[in-house]
Amino acid sequence: MPEAAHIAYHPLPALLVLWPLVCALAVRPLGRWREDVRNGFVLFATGVTLLGAAALIPLLAAEHKVTADLPALIGRLHFVVDPYGMLFALFTTFVWFCATLHSLDYMQHEQHRDRFHTTSLVVLAAMLGVVLAGDLVTLYLFFEMLGLVAFLFVIHTETDEAKRASIKYLWMTVLGGFALIGGIFLTYALGHTGAIGPIPLEGGTETLRWVTFGLLVLGFGVKAGMLPVHVWLPDAHPVAPSPASALLSGVMIKAGAYGIFRTVTALFRPEVVEDLSEELWHMTSDFGLVVLWIGIATMAVGVTMALGQHNAKRMLAYHSVSQMGFILVGIGAAGYLGSHGAMGVAGGLLHVVNHALFKGALFLGIGAVAFRTGELDMYKLGGLWRKMPWTFVFMLIAAAGITGVPLFNGFVSKCLLHHALVEAYELNHMVSLDIAEKIYILTCGGTAASFIKLIGFVFLGKPKQEYGPGVVDSPPRMLTALGLLSAAMLAIGIRPHLILKGVFAPGLHEWALHADLLDYFLKNYFLSPDDLMSAVTAFAIGGTIFVVGIRFGLFHLHAPKWFGVDYWYQAATRGFLTVCAYVGGWYERYLAAFSRTLRTLRLGYRSTYLRIERNWRRIVVTITTGAPGPRNQHFIQNAYIALERERQSTVRYAVSRAHEWLRARPDTGPERAWATIDAVRDIASYMAQRQLSQRMSVLAEMVRTGEIEAVRYRFRDVLAQVRLFQSAVAHTAIELAERRMTGEDVIRDISAEVNRISSEERFDRRLRKAAGVSRPSTVRVQRLSTHAREALPSSVALMDWRVRGLGRFERAARWSVEIVRLIVEVTTQERSTWLLSDRLDAESVIETRRHIQRYARDMSFNMAMILVLMLMLMLSIAIGTNR
Amino acid sequence: MDSTLVASAIPPVAVFLPLLGAIVGLPLGRVSERARAFGLGSICAVTAALTIALIPGVLGGAVYETYLLRLTPVIWLHLRVDALGALFGATVSVLWLLALVYSAGYMADEHRLGRYYAFFMLCLGWTLGVAYAGNLLTFLVFYELFSILTYPLVVHEETPAAMAAGTKYIIYILIGGSLVLLGVVFTFFLAGEQTFTVGGILDAGMNRTSLLVIFWCFIIGFGVKAALVPLHGWVPDAHPAAPAPFSAVLSGVMVAAGSFGIMRIVFQVFGVGLLAMLGVMPVLAGIAAFTVVFAAVLAVSQDNLKRRLAYSTISQMGYVTLGVALLGAEATTGALVHITNHAFMKGTLFLCAGLLIKRAGIHNVSEMAGAAKRMPVTMAAFALSALGMIGTPPLSGFISKWYLGLGILDVDQPLYLAVLLGGALLAAIYLLPIVYAAYFKPPPTIAAEDEAEGSEASASMLVPTVIASALTLVLGLAATVPGLPYSLAHMAAEGFFR
Repeated sequence: MPEAAHIAYHPLPALLVLWPLVCALAVRPLGRWREDVRNGFVLFATGVTLLGAAALIPLLAAEHKVTADLPALIGRLHFVVDPYGMLFALFTTFVWFCATLHSLDYMQHEQHRDRFHTTSLVVLAAMLGVVLAGDLVTLYLFFEMLGLVAFLFVIHTETDEAKRASIKYLWMTVLGGFALIGGIFLTYALGHTGAIGPIPLEGGTETLRWVTFGLLVLGFGVKAGMLPVHVWLPDAHPVAPSPASALLSGVMIKAGAYGIFRTVTALFRPEVVEDLSEELWHMTSDFGLVVLWIGIATMAVGVTMALGQHNAKRMLAYHSVSQMGFILVGIGAAGYLGSHGAMGVAGGLLHVVNHALFKGALFLGIGAVAFRTGELDMYKLGGLWRKMPWTFVFMLIAAAGITGVPLFNGFVSKCLLHHALVEAYELNHMVSLDIAEKIYILTCGGTAASFIKLIGFVFLGKPKQEYGPGVVDSPPRMLTALGLLSAAMLAIGIRPHLILKGVFAPGLHEWALHADLLDYFLKNYFLSPDDLMSAVTAFAIGGTIFVVGIRFGLFHLHAPKWFGVDYWYQAATRGFLTVCAYVGGWYERYLAAFSRTLRTLRLGYRSTYLRIERNWRRIVVTITTGAPGPRNQHFIQNAYIALERERQSTVRYAVSRAHEWLRARPDTGPERAWATIDAVRDIASYMAQRQLSQRMSVLAEMVRTGEIEAVRYRFRDVLAQVRLFQSAVAHTAIELAERRMTGEDVIRDISAEVNRISSEERFDRRLRKAAGVSRPSTVRVQRLSTHAREALPSSVALMDWRVRGLGRFERAARWSVEIVRLIVEVTTQERSTWLLSDRLDAESVIETRRHIQRYARDMSFNMAMILVLMLMLMLSIAIGTNR
Repeated sequence: MDSTLVASAIPPVAVFLPLLGAIVGLPLGRVSERARAFGLGSICAVTAALTIALIPGVLGGAVYETYLLRLTPVIWLHLRVDALGALFGATVSVLWLLALVYSAGYMADEHRLGRYYAFFMLCLGWTLGVAYAGNLLTFLVFYELFSILTYPLVVHEETPAAMAAGTKYIIYILIGGSLVLLGVVFTFFLAGEQTFTVGGILDAGMNRTSLLVIFWCFIIGFGVKAALVPLHGWVPDAHPAAPAPFSAVLSGVMVAAGSFGIMRIVFQVFGVGLLAMLGVMPVLAGIAAFTVVFAAVLAVSQDNLKRRLAYSTISQMGYVTLGVALLGAEATTGALVHITNHAFMKGTLFLCAGLLIKRAGIHNVSEMAGAAKRMPVTMAAFALSALGMIGTPPLSGFISKWYLGLGILDVDQPLYLAVLLGGALLAAIYLLPIVYAAYFKPPPTIAAEDEAEGSEASASMLVPTVIASALTLVLGLAATVPGLPYSLAHMAAEGFFR
């Protein structure tokens, strides 16, 4: 860079950013202490910032660039001020000062005043950080800070409308931030170093450059209210308090414009030297053309939408979209025209300044109207020029500025932009650019119509409502703020030379563009008949639109919902969240199914394991104690336990009934009661014992006859049936207890009763009735073993054979038959003859004995197995060593 | 830079001091809760101070080495503090200190405090051992110890949910641990017992199949801990079940211990050159990228706050693995910085979640409405950390994303940039609505508004939360100050790619 020698280090830029941040810390404590002190303080803080920004002017006049560093984040925050940055800083601080002055009165009827002023100072710092940033990381830092903190402006009133708008604002900002950081990352992929300066031309592929450019423009464009990502702006700007709206619309969206401006004219441009060949600019040209067309679309859509609004602030917000279109046209033209883009740069940036001034003034003015009347609907106001004359005058000046009335500031920038467009057309004579120029004029007409409407409906005409006594002219501080802005507008409108020569000429020179075009403009075009005529044309179109619109009610037409991109954004968001929820739900289901499968597997494993264990035990039991016998013995044992339990339960039942019976006779003495209980227990025990032995003998008989196989699986059901006879036993016991206590012998009666109950019960019949189908396999095994037993000769016969003299072969055969017979005998032996004398009282003892039996059996079997294995081992060792 | 070996007693003291704390915790608790709080607090503070005291020396190029135990002539247990270990160790001890102070308030009305504090201190010691381990065997010993001894902390509440989560945890961790053991044995078989060395202790002359088996054993083993996606199942269950201070360290550094293990394996067992030759890193990068996005998508649909944060941890640890898998110096720096930054951000979020549970009974995202009015300080800390998690400058999350991003471009794979930013965007989607609801949604009932006053927790819980949250800001704003994570991470990464 040729200017490298002229870079001066000065801490002022860094201080400018830090100062409002530090002041922001003091707002809340001061506000808690005294409101007026806080008000004075914020005014002082913004005033000092304004003076600081003004102090950049002499600094930059002496040097071409001023830089400063703050040690933070990744190494340092780097600030570089060139004339463009200085321009942004100047108007930012100026409008901020005016808005703060205005807010002192306006905020009286709002809540959270401390929060408002803190937010305001932080956002001011962020805004200055953006425009003074010397590299992309610093810029991104402040850009994100600006976007996120300004969220508090949008949601300030905390009405439902504000909340809806703020959510939309937040998500668009966050998305824009991600696009921006993605773009910044990709500049590194293109071989860039992060400074705000040209990206090397040879780095990266063509696609990557377009993607980078697209992401950067999208990221900045969200903030700038660029089409098609402008949808948050018309919602968010009107819901904020008016001074905040002025700052949002007037200043903060310029951060986006600033970013796009730097992207097109500083990043994607050939290196900064004089007299570059035109071919090097072709990429900048392409990108510029894209931005230019985005600008045209933005301005046209913005103004169309603005015409249909009722709410004055919403209309102004749509005009902000539209005016950003003008600015983008200027930036785009600057890129398209390459080294001859002076007109575009000057037009675009001057319009940035102008828009800040008049949009700030318009929002503040409308804010003053709302402050006095509490009404924002244009169609419900009117005739206010009598009530609020000064406000009316300032609003008129601002409207003249935005519509481009000659001698007001908008006129200059709009003419510059128009010339830039014409130059762009004349460069390659692209027909599309000719059309763009026509759209430009039409849009100017639409703007004029819109502001004729605003001024006409709000300030002129007949009042649509009765104004109360409170509706007087704005308070002096508001008027001062409006006056300051109006004065600046007039100054630029009448003497644009100051800013064009003083700021843009050195700026253009800095970036090695041809600055002589500006001189040419001032000499030949400024207030020339041609330009005046185009202004008149615009007003003529505007007047026509206004008259036709009013006559045919066109301003009340609304496009269907699906026509706007907003509808599709919301649909996409909903769709995305649905997809997330769907993936989540799918995953949960998948997890549930997975754990279900795991559980099934575990259960399957368990049951298989148990089955194997049971079969193994059966084999062990069969080998050690004989097959079918134990099967029945097992049943008898279990049946005995169940019947024994039943017996105990019968006795318990009888005793508890006896207690109840005694409770019903409270006059019984305790001794007598104890005696009764004892008697009942004795009788019930006897009866239950009889029942038990009868039932057992029935079962034993069934085992003997082989009927047991059929009833085996129904035994429990039958047992549940006979439980009903417990009450009969209890009844008898209680009845006979009285007599027994008198010393009478009741044993015969008891026996009779037991017999009666047994004949009623008919345990054997119940069992046979319940008999189901037995398992065929077990029956077959049993039958087979019986056959085997019958087929084999008896031991007597064998003995007989032994006596007779036999050959060796016959003796061996006889021996083996005897062995087989023994095996069959042992394995089929009936061991189910259950002796009642073996009765054990406590079932736990039975259980324990069974366990011990089983354990002993298992252990002995295992020991036998081990013995066999050891024998085999010894054998094999012996054989091995012999060899 | 040339490293000089320095024998030092500080690493073993730092590792074993917390064990002393675990032992004295019980008798101190018998005396009074206050005595225990002060006793353990000071032990933990001394440990933290020791781990921080190692940093200047490490930055100066020193490597502290201490031999602990000789098992056989060729098998050693020894500690060795390089830049990587020093960074992780300091992160661990500082976060633990904050969580311990927080526990004093949070656990006051819980049961079985003796057990809780004993295992809490034990785990600190073992985790520091992991950070300072000088060879694979030492690493394995400490890694298994802390993984398994974490179990009583996971199931501390002893609710059925906690028990189920604990079972899940121990099964996952044991399977992962077995695979790590397998890898260690296999490595020992191939290369013998060796100190971690830059460039790796395995070399390309060895059987390719064996190398691949070792690599995947380690990756799957550590991947369980680092919550790579098919292996992450225990994370979302363990976090909501565990007490909040333990959730904070679990999410902050314990999950990161898995990523830390992957780093040791990648850079100091295999070495960059060998892995580039094996060609397995793109697969790992793919898995990590999937982890980032998938876990974040799942986080969006969670209603339980701690569960949502747990999924967020999985997603964020995916970043770390991604950074390692890209095999670039910048990306590794980003990954390392992210471990520390994430520890404090997620630590703050979990501590806040604990405060919300304790003080306001808020378990779910859907109950957050109006929480900021009741607990302004807590929610401010939460909001700051949430913004950090999304990667908003100038918070620490931005620093890690920035270096990861540069690293992605450095190795020339810009498509992973979409993963990086997509994950961050999803983080915004699952965290910002919480903040929004807490600040701007009206509380559900008037009664809830009435109890607004005095809902904020006591200082012992609030101060650590605020400090952790402030660290998010400090680590962002002063990221490149020597001694803070970036300098160490940069040094370590430079070493790996020399």
